[in-house]
Amino acid sequence: MRGALRHGWVAAMLVLGGVVAVGCGGGDSDSSDGESGGGSINVAIVDNPQMKDIADLTPELFTKESGIKVNYTVLDEGTLRQVTTRDVAAGGRQFDVAMIGMYEAPQFGQNGSLVDLTPFASKDAAYALDDIIPSVRTGLSVDDKLYASPFYAESSFLMYRKDLLKKAGVEMPAQPTWQQVADIAAKVDSSDTAGICLRGKPGWGDLGAAFTTVLNTFGGTWWSANDDGTVGQAQVNQPEFKQALEFYTGLIASAGEDDAANASFNECLAQYRDGKVAMWYDATVAAGLLEASDSPVKGKNGYAAAPVVETDASGWLWAWALAIPVTTEKQDLAWKYISWATGPEYLKEAGPRVEGGWAAIPPGTRESTYEIPEYKKAAAAFADPTLDAMASAPIDNPGTTPRPGLPGVQFVGIPEFQDVGNQCTQQFSAVIAKRTSIDAALAACQQVAAGVGGG
Amino acid sequence: MTATESVTAPSVKRSRNLLPNRSSDAWRRRLPLLPALLFTIVLTQVPFVMSIWYSLTDWKVVPPGPSKFVGLDNYVDLVKDNFFRDAVWVSVQLTVFPVLGAIALGTAFAVLLDRKFFGQGAVRTLIITPFLLMPVVVGLIWKNQMFHGLYGVINWVIEQLGFSSVEFVSRYPTLSIGLVLIWQWTPFMMLIMLAGLQSQPSDVLEAAKVDGTTPWGTFRQLTIPHLRPYMELGILLGTIYLIQVYDQIAVMTGGGPGSTNVPYFVFQRSIGGGWEFGQASSYSIVVVIASIVIATIALRVLSNLLKGEEAA
Repeated sequence: MRGALRHGWVAAMLVLGGVVAVGCGGGDSDSSDGESGGGSINVAIVDNPQMKDIADLTPELFTKESGIKVNYTVLDEGTLRQVTTRDVAAGGRQFDVAMIGMYEAPQFGQNGSLVDLTPFASKDAAYALDDIIPSVRTGLSVDDKLYASPFYAESSFLMYRKDLLKKAGVEMPAQPTWQQVADIAAKVDSSDTAGICLRGKPGWGDLGAAFTTVLNTFGGTWWSANDDGTVGQAQVNQPEFKQALEFYTGLIASAGEDDAANASFNECLAQYRDGKVAMWYDATVAAGLLEASDSPVKGKNGYAAAPVVETDASGWLWAWALAIPVTTEKQDLAWKYISWATGPEYLKEAGPRVEGGWAAIPPGTRESTYEIPEYKKAAAAFADPTLDAMASAPIDNPGTTPRPGLPGVQFVGIPEFQDVGNQCTQQFSAVIAKRTSIDAALAACQQVAAGVGGG
Repeated sequence: MTATESVTAPSVKRSRNLLPNRSSDAWRRRLPLLPALLFTIVLTQVPFVMSIWYSLTDWKVVPPGPSKFVGLDNYVDLVKDNFFRDAVWVSVQLTVFPVLGAIALGTAFAVLLDRKFFGQGAVRTLIITPFLLMPVVVGLIWKNQMFHGLYGVINWVIEQLGFSSVEFVSRYPTLSIGLVLIWQWTPFMMLIMLAGLQSQPSDVLEAAKVDGTTPWGTFRQLTIPHLRPYMELGILLGTIYLIQVYDQIAVMTGGGPGSTNVPYFVFQRSIGGGWEFGQASSYSIVVVIASIVIATIALRVLSNLLKGEEAA
């Protein structure tokens, strides 16, 4: 009898637990109906500092004016990508505005998952469509149709400690080659300061981004292209690919940072600010943090163009941008929000309000940003190198051979690259950690890459 | 699933043989359970059947396209897939070693805690704590505060001893994750073993003492056989939970050779970037089947092994 009673209890608990779970699920879905007159929208954004700033400023600067309530979902890059891909590409209906990158925008735009923003943008004078930096606009468009509006944009360049290089008696050219950088790294490398910080953490947007710019300029590519621009054969087993990987992992082994297999943007930023590395190849957006008022290395840094070997320029181009999935029924509200969040007016309003000051406003999207006097003053050290890097990023022809998935420098703009890039960079990161050999990593990666397209 | 069936099936048969008239009564008693049973079936078995169907298609979310029936192709590919084989091997390592390690340590702690001493309750609570932490938090603590090359406690000790620091997580991912799992699962095993120790009849132990058995002899001849069912339970539950470890891998290494186990591999092939739902479904079906087989075999083998020792 006691046993039966206990079973009854368990059953009751199960049923109750289920009801509670279902109740929770139901509760989420009806939160999209706003109470305020202007309605409400659901927005997914990435958890970078500039996005958190705008989430904080939205009630004061946007909702008060327009009456539109904005429900933010803030996610890390990887999760955001999973959620938006599910929501946008697979036709979920969770979000009215989603933040996507330069990798996704042309692909989602082309397959009809996103609303073309050009008609909205050309009618909206306050948005100033022609003020957007041309290379950024190109990277987010297909056939001149803008599918996502840039919130911040960046290229990549080489940051270095002027004082440490001077002490070692070396000088950095304005446009260095990778060989020159490797030589300088060897000279400034010491027991407390590594020569250079390079990304080694697995992920197509981490190690994958930095390495692919090196691969491009070494004359390699992930895939060859057919005549119509589609994916041809995997090229991971080619000598140029091996050269690039040997150089990249070799430079880290001889003069790279500690625990490189775990290092990406944030880890390198911390090591550079702590004086543990003398050079750092990464996103231009880092400069704003190195020159911030609380930075221990403020004013000690030089900025050189992304190093090259066989190409004229190798810097990447990236933007986080806001897009409207076709599944939403609130396109007009969504555009009102995008027009405010990515328009020129927000940058001027944000400058005096955000915690990091003028240097911390979202950079790289609009030419007018670089004409704001306060910003010019705060960003004097890095504004010009940033603009130069963005203008010269070779998005339509990043390497020496034809390739699929253009525009794109540090990624291949095909849906499968995300997966191939992730799997291969796990192999390359294992090389950096000295867990596997270059040949074994390349063989595994070639096998993965060959699964795409004709191969 | 199988465990419950094998336990209930014989008892049902027995009651029928003894009391054939009572079967309608038995059904009446089961009636209140039916809603819960139906609910469980809808929530677990229907998705499972759908997964079986997906595993027979080439459904791919990115790039979006129509999915079509491909028969057993996914399963044929799976047999040839060396990345899946690597993931299976990692899963085996990350299940067997942590379960055995946690059982051994858990038994040791349980024996120590079984004695009365001042502050016993406080010590017991402290030892249980690791099991109460969220797996993600555990992974982050170990990665950043224990194993880290620059800020980790372990490397600080290693450097104080005059050796150069070791980048544990990137250099030895399987070992690092295995250690973390042992750390987290030892308290669970300890609780089970402690329950076993405390249910040991004291008159038998006293009789052994009177007969002049050494403490080690008592432990080997009486305590260990008595603990056998508790160990079986610990191994069974530990295996079921550890075969599906995901969180610690996600935060400590994010996958890669030597740390991608089967669940993490399924994640990578599905929503983690692969977006091949058909292929990923076939992996998860294989995992379910393998879990059932492993749990059954492990239980039988172990049971026989310990029975043999008891007889000898």
